[in-house]
Amino acid sequence: MRTLEISNLHKEFVDAYTGQTVVAVGDVSFSIEQGEFVSVLGPSGCGKTTVLNIVAGFDTQTSGSVLVGGKQVDGPSPERGVVFQSFALFPWKTVLGNVTFGLRMRGVPRADREAVAHQYLELVGLQGFEAKYPHELSGGMQQRLGVARVLANEPEVMLMDEPFASVDAQTRRKLQEELTGIFETKRPTVFFVTHDVDEAVFLADRVVVLSSRPSQVAEIVTVPLERPRHWRSALDNPDFRHTVTYLTDLLAAGEPNADESEDAPETSAAAGAVGEG
Amino acid sequence: MTATPASRRGGHLPRRLSAAFWFAVPFVALAVIWAIAVELSGVERRIFPQVTDVASAFAEMWRSGDLFTHTGASLRRMGLGVIAALLTGIPFGVLLGSSRVAAAFFAPLLRFSVALAGIAWIPFATLWLGYGERAVVFIVWNAMFFALAYNTMLGVQRIPTQLIRAARSMGTPRHRMFVEVLLPGALPNIVTGLRVGLGYGWRGLVAAEIIAASAGLGYSIFLAQKYFRTDIIIAGMIIIGALWLVIDRALLAPLERRTVERWGMKAVNL
Ligand SMILES: Nc1ncnc2c1ncn2[C@@H]1O[C@H](COP(=O)(O)OP(=O)(O)O)[C@@H](O)[C@H]1O
Ligand SMILES: [Mg+2]
Repeated sequence: MRTLEISNLHKEFVDAYTGQTVVAVGDVSFSIEQGEFVSVLGPSGCGKTTVLNIVAGFDTQTSGSVLVGGKQVDGPSPERGVVFQSFALFPWKTVLGNVTFGLRMRGVPRADREAVAHQYLELVGLQGFEAKYPHELSGGMQQRLGVARVLANEPEVMLMDEPFASVDAQTRRKLQEELTGIFETKRPTVFFVTHDVDEAVFLADRVVVLSSRPSQVAEIVTVPLERPRHWRSALDNPDFRHTVTYLTDLLAAGEPNADESEDAPETSAAAGAVGEG
Repeated sequence: MTATPASRRGGHLPRRLSAAFWFAVPFVALAVIWAIAVELSGVERRIFPQVTDVASAFAEMWRSGDLFTHTGASLRRMGLGVIAALLTGIPFGVLLGSSRVAAAFFAPLLRFSVALAGIAWIPFATLWLGYGERAVVFIVWNAMFFALAYNTMLGVQRIPTQLIRAARSMGTPRHRMFVEVLLPGALPNIVTGLRVGLGYGWRGLVAAEIIAASAGLGYSIFLAQKYFRTDIIIAGMIIIGALWLVIDRALLAPLERRTVERWGMKAVNL
C-alpha cells in the first residue's frame, strides 16, 4: 500500500528582495510504500527541504499533489511527524514532557501516554533521562529524543530533514546505526532527506535522487543491502560501495558545472561532487 | 546557563549567610558615613535627620500601625496593577508577536509609549478616575503595560519557527498554541519585561500616591514633608527601596531560576 504519493510537485518562490521567481522544485514525482525507508538525495539547494515542508504541511505547492494515506495533505498533522535538523525540542519541557507532547495534544490520558513514552524512550536508549531538560542532553541524545517524540505519535510517515547534520561525525554514524535498528524493529514509513550519499544508501530501501534546480527525479535506486545493517559490514560490502559510487557519479553528472565549465576535467568534477555530498 | 545544583537552590546556609552579609555591608557603610556627616556638619534635623532619628521614626510608625497601613495600601495597589498588567500586557504582546503586520504597526508606538508610561499619565489618571485608589492602580498598570507588551512581542518573535512547526505537526490546535508554545517560548523576554515593568510600576506607584492618595508609602513621605518630619521621609524611602529589593529577590529571581534558567533558555540580554 502506498503511504505517500507525490505527483508532479512544483514549487515557485518569489524572492523577497529581487522580486524574481525561483523554481525551488521543478517536477517531482515518487511514492513511498508503507513500512519503507526512502532517502531523498540531492545537492544542496535542489529543493529537498521544500519538498519535505510541503509534505509536512508547513508550505503549499504551486502545483502538483501530495497524498498521504490516500488523502490530500492540508496543513500540519500528527500523521506526518517531523524530525528537524535543529532538533526543535521544547526547552521548557522535560524529556518525558517532550515525548508525551503529541499524545497530550490529542487528549490521550496521562497514564496511557506515559506508558507509550517509556516504551519509545527505551527504544532510543533514553530511559532514566525522563526528568532531564533538553539542554542537559548531548546533541546525539537530543536527536534521539526528537525521533522518540515523533514515533510516540505513531505517524503514517516520519519526515526527517538532514536530522544528523548538526552532530559530530562519530555520533552521526552511531545515530544512523541506531535509526536503522529502530526502523528494523518498528518498521515506520520514513522519508529521509540528506545530501550525504553514504547516509542515504546505508539507511534506505530506495534512494530518490533529485537533480539540481529546477529539480526533477533523476533516478530511483533500490539499495541491494540485507537488513539488519551495520556500518562495519556495510563498508566491507561491495554492493554498498557500488551503490555509493553509482549515486556519487549520478550526482556529479547532475552538477551544472560538470558540463558547463570548460577547463574542469571530468575526473575532478566527479571528485568535487563527492566532497560536496 | 549551566547552573550547578547548589547555586540553583541558592547554596548552603553558610554560603547564603555570607552572601547576605556582603549584601548588607554597603548599606551599613552608608549609614556610618551618614551618621558622621550629620554629626560633623551639624545640619538641622528639619533639613536632614540623624540615623537614630530615622530608627525611632520606624519604631513610632511600627507602634502606631502607620507602617502597616501605608505598606499594606501600597502593596495592595501594586498587586492589583501588576495583575491587571500581566492579564493585558502578555496577551497583547503575544498577539502582536504572532502577526508580522501588527508587530510592524505597533512596535514604534509601544517603544514611544514605554518612555511615557506611568508617571506622565498621572494628570489623565486623576482627570478620568479622580483622586484615589483607582487612579493609583491605573498608573501602576499603565507603567508596566507597555514594557511588558513590547518585550512579550519580542519574545514571541524570537521563538524559532521550527518549534512552532514541531508543535503544529504534533497536533497542537491553534487555540492551545498560546499556552503550550508562545507563552513558555517567550518567557525569557517576558521576565525581562516584567523586571523593567515592575521597576516602572513601583516608581509610578510612589509618584501616584504622592498626588492621588490618602494612604500609602508615597503619601506618607509627602505628608511628612509638610510637617518637616525628615526622619519619616527617610524611613519611608528606605521602606520603598527595601520592598523593591524584596519584590526583585523574592519574586523575580525565583521565577527566573525555576523557569528560564532551569530550561537553559535565559535571555541573552535586554
Ligand atoms: N521561503 C523561501 N523563499 C524564497 N526562496 C526559497 C525559500 N525556501 C527555499 N527557497 C529556495 O528554494 C531553493 C531550494 O531550497 P531548499 O528546499 O532549502 O533546498 P535543499 O533543502 O535541497 O538544500 C533554494 O534555492 C532556496 O534558496
Ligand atoms: Mg535543506
